[in-house]
Amino acid sequence: MIHCRDLHKSYRSGSVNKPVLKGVDFTINPRDRVGLLGRNGAGKSTLIRLIGGVEMPTSGKITRQMTCSWPLGFNGGFQGSLTGYDNARFIARIYDKSYVEMRDFVEEFTELGSQLRMPVKIYSSGMRARLAFALSLAIEFECYLIDEVIMVGDKNFQNKCKAEFFEKRQDRALLLASHSLGTVKQYCNRAIVLHEGVATMYEDVNEAISIYEDL
Amino acid sequence: MIRELVTRFGRDNIGFLWIMVEPLLFAGLVGLVWAYARGPENHGIGVMAFVASGYIPLTFLRHSFGRSAKIFQANISLLYHRQVKVLDFIFVRVTIEAIGAMMAYIFAGIVLHFLGYFPIPADIGSLVAGWAIYVFFVLAICTMLAPLSEISSVIEKLVPVSVYISIPFSGVFNMASWLPPSLREALMWSPLVSGMELMRYGLFGDAVTPYYDLFKALGISLICLLFGLILCRRVRRTLAVA
Repeated sequence: MIHCRDLHKSYRSGSVNKPVLKGVDFTINPRDRVGLLGRNGAGKSTLIRLIGGVEMPTSGKITRQMTCSWPLGFNGGFQGSLTGYDNARFIARIYDKSYVEMRDFVEEFTELGSQLRMPVKIYSSGMRARLAFALSLAIEFECYLIDEVIMVGDKNFQNKCKAEFFEKRQDRALLLASHSLGTVKQYCNRAIVLHEGVATMYEDVNEAISIYEDL
Repeated sequence: MIRELVTRFGRDNIGFLWIMVEPLLFAGLVGLVWAYARGPENHGIGVMAFVASGYIPLTFLRHSFGRSAKIFQANISLLYHRQVKVLDFIFVRVTIEAIGAMMAYIFAGIVLHFLGYFPIPADIGSLVAGWAIYVFFVLAICTMLAPLSEISSVIEKLVPVSVYISIPFSGVFNMASWLPPSLREALMWSPLVSGMELMRYGLFGDAVTPYYDLFKALGISLICLLFGLILCRRVRRTLAVA
């Protein structure tokens, strides 16, 4: 379970204080597949970073009773100047996993081959997404936080993600921020619409989508 | 985990040894210039040894301060992993710098010793204690500088200046016993001076008269560390990881 209680987050830039989240409450249960919908700048990524513990809320409380991945996105979580292998080694170490298993899984899942020996900063966004997914799947979190990235992959990668997330790991929870309504409709059983700093949870994904489309 | 990060930085720049070579070069050249300018002996101790023993810790200080500015931004992508704390960055940087400086110190000592310019340390205990005080104070200041440089870019720019300001207060180029008593009294408030005096005493033994105040040195370091930790905590809450 992940509980969010009255989360507020505001960013300060010079003298301007911009509130992004104004009191967000919801709960993610085990096995929940939650879609996160909202317009650009509505605070989807912010919310995911708060849940992932990357940033701290201005006020409010998050309690995590299951292990939670770092936010999987285009950037973050990697040290750009290091190679794919070095990043895998680092992540294996800090999450206490065997590096050999991690390396084998990453090689198989990413199919990046010799590119894994190159620095991550020269990877394309699709390649980064592959690496991020491979690393987080190798660690076996109970809840995955995904920020947009599934959509950048090619067909083959999307199929792989689908097989890993939605077939092999049905017992995991998922929070998926996306603009792709098709993906949300296909995979999620609940959805949150984020609008003007307030999150509303809908048990019916179709209802959430129609509200989102009317925003 | 600190060790893990150390290997990462070690991997980053191929020549980890550079960290040792730079203070060596500095200390060597400055020592030579001084030796020519003032003759090989001053106040009864070798100038080369004196400068080397002062300059290497100073390089450590300069690098640690310089690198703690914007250290959070530089490592921001590592914060995606909840295990990694901002304090780790500071500890790792300071540890690396300290190891590099100590290696340089030992190396310079051995080389200069064979050339006849460097004494065998008279009291290893005082030497290590002096280093410990020095490193501890630098660490404490870095925990303050790192979050402050995040709050205000003015502070970031001021870091190099602050290093230069600290030189007279760090006892690099003189012993406190060479100074008038009133000035010496004031310098005792600087943990750097206490650390350096102890180091010098450990090195030259009774050839020098050290003045140090362990109580003040540790007290000031602890106060700085406390402030630093509070600042780190506050800044972490507002750090935008984008």
